[in-house]
Order: sequence, then structure tokens, then C-alpha cells
Amino acid sequence: MSDPTVTVEVREAHVSYRVFEEPAMGLKQGFARGRMRRQYRMIPAVQGVTLNLHEHETLGLIGPNGAGKSTLLAAMTGLLPLRSGSIRGRSRPSLLGVSSVLRPALSGRRNILIGGLALGFTRAEVERRMDEIIDFAGLRAAIDRPMRTYSAGMRARLRFAIATARIPEILLIDEALTVGDEEFRRLAAERIDDVRSAAGSVVLVTHNMNEIRRFCDRVVWLDEGRIRAVGEPAEIVDGYLSAPSSNSR
Amino acid sequence: MDADGSGAGDATVRPLIDLTSRPSTLTYLREAWRRREFAIVVPAQDLRAQNMDTTLGQLWHLVNPALLVGVYFLVFGVIIDTKRGVDNFLGYLIVGVVLFHLTQRVTLEASGSITQNLGLIRSIQFPRILLPAASVNGQTAAFVPALVLALLAVLATGELPTLRWFVLPAVLVAQFAFNFGVALLVARIGTTMPDLRQILPHLFRLLFYGSGVIFSVDAFVQSTAWRRAFALNPIYDVITCARWCLLGEPVDLWVVAGLAVWCIVMPAVGFVVFHRSEQRLGA
Repeated sequence: MSDPTVTVEVREAHVSYRVFEEPAMGLKQGFARGRMRRQYRMIPAVQGVTLNLHEHETLGLIGPNGAGKSTLLAAMTGLLPLRSGSIRGRSRPSLLGVSSVLRPALSGRRNILIGGLALGFTRAEVERRMDEIIDFAGLRAAIDRPMRTYSAGMRARLRFAIATARIPEILLIDEALTVGDEEFRRLAAERIDDVRSAAGSVVLVTHNMNEIRRFCDRVVWLDEGRIRAVGEPAEIVDGYLSAPSSNSR
Repeated sequence: MDADGSGAGDATVRPLIDLTSRPSTLTYLREAWRRREFAIVVPAQDLRAQNMDTTLGQLWHLVNPALLVGVYFLVFGVIIDTKRGVDNFLGYLIVGVVLFHLTQRVTLEASGSITQNLGLIRSIQFPRILLPAASVNGQTAAFVPALVLALLAVLATGELPTLRWFVLPAVLVAQFAFNFGVALLVARIGTTMPDLRQILPHLFRLLFYGSGVIFSVDAFVQSTAWRRAFALNPIYDVITCARWCLLGEPVDLWVVAGLAVWCIVMPAVGFVVFHRSEQRLGA
């Protein structure tokens, strides 16, 4: 029987990207070959990943650029279709990613409304949580100013406060902690603990090994779309850092 | 902070659900409806942000349509005379220009609704139909002052409200449905063929002359067969029906039938095309 503490179960997941290829040829050759259509090629990004995520767990995902970390997260939220395999979970994970809907010209308060609606709250739910979100982000004094006047740290706190306004059962964080200041990292740590103590799971993708050591219970090292190693943070991080670099690090 | 009942079920083991499967169309529509406020509030906030730096600010939403109508009146009412066959040319022109521009604005806006929100699409799972819906809602809301202006202008040019005015909401609802269908279609096409945004303005310029916005088709086109061919143009249908309501201009039954068909077929076609490839949008 399956393990009852599993929150997300990834089985032999394969994800491919369709990439536009620009062949180096002129109009004449194009006509000659009768292929003026754009050409696409499937690039395998995740190639047969199997892993379980458990209650109360923070899993770190490390690997060189292009290892498939972000693609795996996107597939876990259902944003990218699988080519084969399966991903099942207790509920749909939330990826920290409201930043793209926020409007710099509008105030922090209006952005909380917009971001909350994008995340699936109703207007009334956002209004009800408004004060809580503002206080969590520590932006009480600046909340009615346009967001473009905020510092990078303030913006990071606002985004994070919106995205985790409802404590998700499964939280996916893709390089979102690196941007902020120390105040922001303290908030993030607090919220990650909230998720874990509510029997949830967190997946953290980052290139910052200090974050891995600070937050994670277990680490998965991805390389070229495959799992290269799984284990204790200290052990995997050491192995990763001392490995002959196959790619940019 | 509470966990909204999403987490802490300690004793009970909940079954795992498939996270990669596609919801049924019914579930999809229900979810889109549940999140409808997104497609209302976000475009409203965008409209607000649009003119925030200008001197006139939110007044622009009124001044802009007024200028639009004013320029056409100057050119076609005063300088060049295309009035023949129309009693109340100013009213006639205003109704045509305002309704034509509504469809044009909605279409242009919706054609980029997916491509301009790729960041959102790549990070949050939600029914994508909300994006073109937001374009339609935003542009329709922006059009309300223009509509009020058009009604006032029609009254000012000597028309009196008749019972026919009560038919106008039905015409506008039909136009809204048609616009929504077009929005879905162009949003989808815009993702695989961004060139559409370059083509659309020219297409609309052509349509402008084929929709009888600035002249009376009935006065210029003599052949009955050719007049009927105009009924195939949905924008011509909308404008002609609206003019019948407000100005008592004649309307052919073919035109009414044309509008009725377009406002049902277009949303259906738009939804099928949009929904079919929705999972691949932005991938």
C-alpha cells in the first residue's frame, strides 16, 4: 500500500518543450525545400523523474541551469503537460508566481486585490484578509503608495505575502527567496514553517546553497532532466559543489 | 493564520488526485465563473492606471470618445458631404462610430491577451478564458461613457425616445456576445500567429468602409442583392439594428437574422477553438 504521509507523488515523469528552430537559409532555399513553415523540435527537459514528497517536509531541488528544475515545478502545478508518467497530489500545489500580474503603477493595496483574484480568491476573501496580508508584509506605512516606489525588498515581501495569503498545503518556490532582504527571508522562513506544521510540503528551487542548508530536510540533485542524487542536504550539497561542473554553476 | 481546511487533516488519509489531467468542460466553465471577479476587477484597475499620469486623468475616458465623434463629424458632416439619404446625420454617425470602435477595441485588446500575460500563464493555473474575458469587460466598460454620449447626442439632434429604444439593450447584448466570441478566436490565433496584431488594424479599416459607419449603404448601393450581402457583415448588422432603435432608420429582416446568427455562432466557435488548445497556450 502507498505511504499515507505522501503529499505529492511523481512517477516516471517526462516533460518536453517544443522549441522553435531557425534554420539558416534564405527565401530561395526555403521555397526550394518547400518548407517555409516554422520548424519545431522537442527538447526533453524532464526525463523520467520519480520522487515522493511527504508531510512536514521541505525538499530542496538543485542542479545546473537547464537541469529541468523549473520545468518539474511547472509540471507539478499542472502548467505543463506530461509526455508520459504521472504526477498525483493531495491538492494542487501553488507556485510562488503572482509577480507577473502585479501592476507597478497601482498601490500595494490594489495589487493585493489583483494578486489575490489571480490566485483564485473572491474579492470578499481578499478584503477579509487585507489587513493580515499588509501586516505580514510589513508594509502598513507604504501600502497606498504605487508599487513602483517600493524597494526590491518591499516588493518581494508584498509578492510573498500575497502568494501565501492562504497557507497552501503544497508550496513551490522557484528562486523567489534570493531577491529579498534579510527581513524578507525571515518572513519566508516563518511561512515555510507554517506550511510544514500544517502537515504540508515545500519544494524549494534555488542556486543558493545557504538557503538549502537553512531550509531543507532533503535535497534532490537534478542533472539533464534526471535525478543524480537524493539525500541529506549537507551530503548532497557537498557532492554537488565538488562535482566537475558539467554546466554553469 | 488559518490553513483553510486545506492541510491539517491528521487522522484521515486523503486520496491523491491527478495533477496533470485536464478538467471537463463543465468543471472548467464552473471554475471560470467562480473566478469571474478577476476578469472584472483587473481590467478596471488597468483602466484606472492608464490615465493616472495625465492632467485630465479619468476624464479621458469621456473626452476620448467625444473627440473621436467630433473629428468624424467635422470631416464627414461639415467638410465632405456624405449626408445623402440620411435625415439626422450627426446621430447616424455617432451611433455608427461608437459601436464600430467598441468591436475594434475589444478585438485588438484581446488579440494580445494571452501573449501579454505569458508570465501569469506560466506561473498560475487558472481557466485561461478569463484573460480574453478581461479584455472584453475592460473595453466594454471603457465604452459606457461613449454610449451615454451617443444617446445624449441623438437626443440633442432632435430625436425623441420611442418604444424602439427598449430594443437597444438586446442589440448591445448581441454585440457583446459577438465580441466575446471574436475575442476568444483572436486570443487563440494571436498565440501561434503574433502577426495578427499587425494585420488587424488594416482589416478593421476595410471593415469600417464595409459597415456603413460614415455613409448610408442603402443610399449608395442600389442593387438589392448587394445590400443583402452587407447583412453578412456582423458589424454592419449591429450598427444598422442600433440605428433602427435610436433613429428609426430602416432595417432589412436579413440584417436582423444576420445579427441573431452571428451572436450565437461566434461565441460557440470562439470557445471551441480557444478551449481545444488551451493546455498548450504559453508552453
